[in-house]
Formats: sequence, C-alpha cells, structure tokens
Amino acid sequence: MRLLVVEDDPDLAGQLAEALREAGYAVDVTRDGEEAEFLGDTEPYDAVVLDLGLPNVDGMTILERWREGGRTMPVLILTARDRWSDKVAGIDAGADDYLAKPFRVEELLARLRALIRRTGGLASPVIEIGPVSIDTRSSRVTRDGTPVKLTGQEYRLLAYLAHNLGKVLSRTELTEHLYDQDFDLDSNTIEVFVGRLRRKLGAEAIETVRGLGYRMVRPEDADL
Amino acid sequence: MPGRRAARPCRRRGISQVNTRPRSLASRLVIAAILWIAAALAIGGLLISALFRDSVERNFDTRLTVHVDSLIAVSRYDDSGRLILSRTLPEPRFDLPYSGWYWQISDQRGAALVRSRSLWDQTLDISAPGEQGGMRTEELPGPDGAMLRVRFIDVTLPEMPPDAPPVRFAVAADRRELKDELRPFNLALLWSMGALGLGLAAAVAIQVRFGLQPLRRVRIALADIRGGRTERMEGDWPSEVQPLVSELDSLLEHNAAVLDRARTHVGNLAHALKTPLAVLGNEASRSRGPRADAIDRQVVTMRRWVDHYLSRARAAATGAVLGARTPVAPVIGDLKRTLERIHADRSVEIVAQGEDGSAAFRGEREDLEEMIGNLLDNACKWAASRVTVSTAHKDGQLVVTIDDDGAGLPASQHGEAIGRGRRLDETSPGSGLGLAIVSEIAGLYGGELQLDESPMGGLRAELTLPLAAEPD
Repeated sequence: MRLLVVEDDPDLAGQLAEALREAGYAVDVTRDGEEAEFLGDTEPYDAVVLDLGLPNVDGMTILERWREGGRTMPVLILTARDRWSDKVAGIDAGADDYLAKPFRVEELLARLRALIRRTGGLASPVIEIGPVSIDTRSSRVTRDGTPVKLTGQEYRLLAYLAHNLGKVLSRTELTEHLYDQDFDLDSNTIEVFVGRLRRKLGAEAIETVRGLGYRMVRPEDADL
Repeated sequence: MPGRRAARPCRRRGISQVNTRPRSLASRLVIAAILWIAAALAIGGLLISALFRDSVERNFDTRLTVHVDSLIAVSRYDDSGRLILSRTLPEPRFDLPYSGWYWQISDQRGAALVRSRSLWDQTLDISAPGEQGGMRTEELPGPDGAMLRVRFIDVTLPEMPPDAPPVRFAVAADRRELKDELRPFNLALLWSMGALGLGLAAAVAIQVRFGLQPLRRVRIALADIRGGRTERMEGDWPSEVQPLVSELDSLLEHNAAVLDRARTHVGNLAHALKTPLAVLGNEASRSRGPRADAIDRQVVTMRRWVDHYLSRARAAATGAVLGARTPVAPVIGDLKRTLERIHADRSVEIVAQGEDGSAAFRGEREDLEEMIGNLLDNACKWAASRVTVSTAHKDGQLVVTIDDDGAGLPASQHGEAIGRGRRLDETSPGSGLGLAIVSEIAGLYGGELQLDESPMGGLRAELTLPLAAEPD
C-alpha cells in the first residue's frame, strides 16, 4: 500500500510518515500544495492523507482538481478546522473521511485501514482467502488457523494483493504501490517476495497470470 | 425616562462638586422655560396693574376735581360776608356722616370756613402752603382712621375784596374706594396670568417632549440593537440627531469589526495550536514512562481548553445575527451525506423523518449544523445500524429528535453526558464534549438539549430550538 501524506508542518509530516511506515505502508510526503497535486495526478496512491492549509494551493482545491480529473483514490482530510460546515464541504469536495486535529496516530491508522478496505470492497477488517486469513488491524496472518510469520515486505505484498482480490497486478504496479518514490525499482524483488509468500502460505495462494502479473483469488471464485 | 435614570447609579456620585443641575434634558428645558415665563408674566402683570391703577387714580382724581369745581361754582358770600353754598352738592354722600366723601372750604390759616356734613365734627387738616392757580392732590388721614385722597385748589372768589387771601376748596374721598376698585381687577389679573402661565408651561412641556422625541427614538433604536432586533440605527433622523446616529452607527460597525477580528484571532490561535498539539500528543504516546504520561495529560488538558475557548468564541457570535433563518431539511441532508461517508465502514443508515420542508431554525446555519452534526455523529458512533432524525413543530418551537438503535445510556447519566467536558466513555472518541457544546449552543439560542431513552432502544436526543417565521 502506498500513501501520500500532504502536510505542511514538518514535525507532524515526519511523525505521520514514521508511524505509517511502521504500520507497513510505503509513504511519500510533501509539504507543498502544487507538488501534492502533481504527485496525486501521476502516482498510483492507495490513499491520501491531505491537510487543508497548504502553501501555494490549498487542500480543498487540490482535492477538487483530482476528482475532476477522475482520480478516485480515497482521501482522508486532516485539518484543524473541525466545524461541521467544514466537514460537509470536505466530503462534498470528494473526501472519503475527515479527521480533526489534534488526533491520535492510532485513530488515523484505523481510519486509513478502514478507508483502504472499503475501497477494495471488503467489509470486514479480517480478509479470508481460502485457508489464509489476514487481520488488517494487527497485521497478523494465519494459515488454517496457524499464525504465519511474515516480514514487513512480505506482509505488504500480501495485503496489497488481498485488497485487490481477483485483480491481476503487474510487477510494475506492485512495485509502485509497495515502495515509495525514492525506491530504486528492481522487478526481481517482487518475484522473490512472491516466492517466499508461496512457501509460507501454499503455492496456490498466489496465482501467476503469465505475461501479466499476479493475483489472489478465493478458491470459490477461481474459475472466473 | 426619569424613572429609568433613577434606577441607574449616578456616575457623578462621589465627586465633591454638588450637582444641582437637572439631570434630564427635558426637565432642564421645561424648568428654564417656566422661569422665563414666570418672570415675563410677573413683569407684565405688574405693568398692567400699575397702568390700571394709574388710570383708576386719574379717574378718581377727575371725580374729585369735578366736585371741587362744583363746590366753587355753588360757593358765594352772603350779605353778611360769610361764605355759603347757594345749593347743596348733588352727591348725597357729602351729607352722610363719615361716609368717606368730604368737602371743606378753609382759609389760609387752615381753619375750616364751611365743610360738608359728612365731616361731622372733624376738619381736613390741609397744611400745604398756599399756591395760586393749580389743582393739587394730597393724601392725609381722615376721620374713622381712613386714608383720604384730597384734591384742593386755592381760589379767590370774584365777590371777594381783591386783597383778600384766597380760599382753599378741598374735596376728599376715602382711598379705600380706590382700593376696592383695584382689588378685584388685580385678583382677576393674577388668576388670568396664573392660568396663562400654566398653559404656557404645559405647552412648553409638550413642545419639549415633541422636540426630544428623536432622542427617545435613539434610545429605542439602541435598545433594539442591543436586543438583536436590528443591526444599524439608520433611518430618517432630524438633522441635529443625524450626526449622532451616524457616529453611533460607525461606532457599532467599528465595534463589530474589532469583535470579529478578536474572534478570528481566537479561532486562528486555537487552530494554530492544534497541529503542535497533535505532534506533542503523538510524540508522547510513542514514548513510555512518567514523563511521556505527564506530557500526554497536559496535551489532553490543552486540547480541552482549545476546544472550550474555540466553541465559546464561536458561540459568542451566536445571537448577534439578525433575521437569520435556516431551513432544517438541507442541513440534515448535508450532514446525512457527510456522516454516511465518514461512518461508511459501520454501514449505519441515517433516516430523516417528518420533514415538512418548511421547518426553519431562527439562527445561523453553522450553529444548526454544529448541533445536529454532533448529535448525529454521536448517534452514528453508538448505533447498531440505524439512526433516525425527525423535525417537528411543537408549541411554536422547532424540535429535532435524533434516535439510535445502539446500547443507549442509563437515565442516571443523561445529565452528566450534557455536562461540560466530561467524557463518559474514554474509549469512544470525543463523545462527552460534543453533547456539551450542543447544549451550550442551544442554550444561547434559548433552546435546550434533552436526553431520553429512544423507542429504538438507544439514546434519544431532543433538541428544542426557536422556530423561524415563514419568509414573507
């Protein structure tokens, strides 16, 4: 999962980036409105945390431009303005959630998880795919009820595949979503992690679609 | 107006200077007018009285003169050289003893030669030195203690020997007669002047009242502004009051602007503090130990103060807005859309009921949004699957009722839930404060928030607010 954090306060931006990276997200941070708009338009983010008071272009305008341009990634507005009129305006501009400052990082994480899950069309925080069960709240994975130990990179790849259940994801796409901007792209990395996940969860857990990429499917939907 | 003034403490009290000036403009004007009216009437009355007295005296003297002339005409010397009257004077009072009307003919030494019968045993003692030709007047005491006005002339009768000294012919009358004539006139004059004075004073009072009417209107207009019924004084004012009204309007505008700026500053300060608070709070929660806990506690306290003063600053602006009319249905529509998005993962359904579309709140949209938003948000947090919001008119009030099908709240905690800054359940994000703010805003509009058990099983929040009149 790759996130964009748009926040002009350097301390808060750093704090958010750290907490989100710890939670297993790839995070890009920007403090500038124009840069934020450009990144949102060009990079495939899975969610955006957007502060409204920004230099150059304010958050609301950026959000409206993204939506007008057909960008549909979930956006969580993070702002000090907590009147309901502000919230209504934010939601109407295309935001998916609204969190008022000051806030607890845990609450932001919970909201983001729910937001990403909802976008993937998943109702429960626990994703079940055949014998594999992924609890997005605690990042715990079990196979047939037995806990499976995964590294951070492995979990991120698994969670992204699970959130895009049934969709074929190319290696490039996976790399884009799992690593932030600064990461030097090496397509073999994905192959290595897919191999490790298959060893831990069973070979049938991740399907290879030749020439296109990988996907996870529920056994009952496998024929589709 | 004087009554109202009396109720207020006099600002001058305590200053050693003695304040004898009338405190009301109206009484100042009326008292000044009464003073000059009284002076003018007094002077006028005295003048008229003096003129009349003069005229009456002249008239009196003329009558005396006529009698003196008659007396001379009928006087002659008889054969024995004694002065006699050839016939009696036509005035009967000359014959009546002490009647007040007397005549006397005396020689140069003052001895009476002949006198009227009315003088009886008295004589008129006219001691003025003789003087040929002129008719003279004197006042002297007469019989019966009366004061007499005497008209006399020294005459040498034709039949008298040429070297004989002239004889003094005098006619006198009681001054009381003069007084009797003057008194009713003076009395009538006094009464009419008094009546005129009262009439003028009343006219002045009415005129002053009428003249000061604009000042009363200024007061009423100011009271209206204070009561929130109007924003500016404006309107048609007399040219003397217009500058005052314009100045007051500018002052009010200036005040409003200053207030607005101050409020904005409070808001900006509060908002500016939120990001640092978030950073501090999160830093503290990432560390462990008593220091981190202390910082965490302080951050929570600071956050509460920020919320408290921010909501106070917002609430203070409430009620100053005039003629605000906010239809309820669109507000509920907006909030429903927003909350369903925010609480999307809880799949709570918000159902709006009983809206007749016309119900409107007499107040600002932001405040209504704040109240219903907090209540709906609270309901959504606790609801199992369904929240209803209904709008109704009751006794000329607007009643917004919000129900949820959650676990509800024991009746004993309803009062506490509305209390300021109390968090009933620390695990639910920011519950208590939201209800307290709702209660406070409702209170500022003269409304109230009541909690009850919902027929749906959860909590019912009933918000009673002023209903806005139908638009014209």
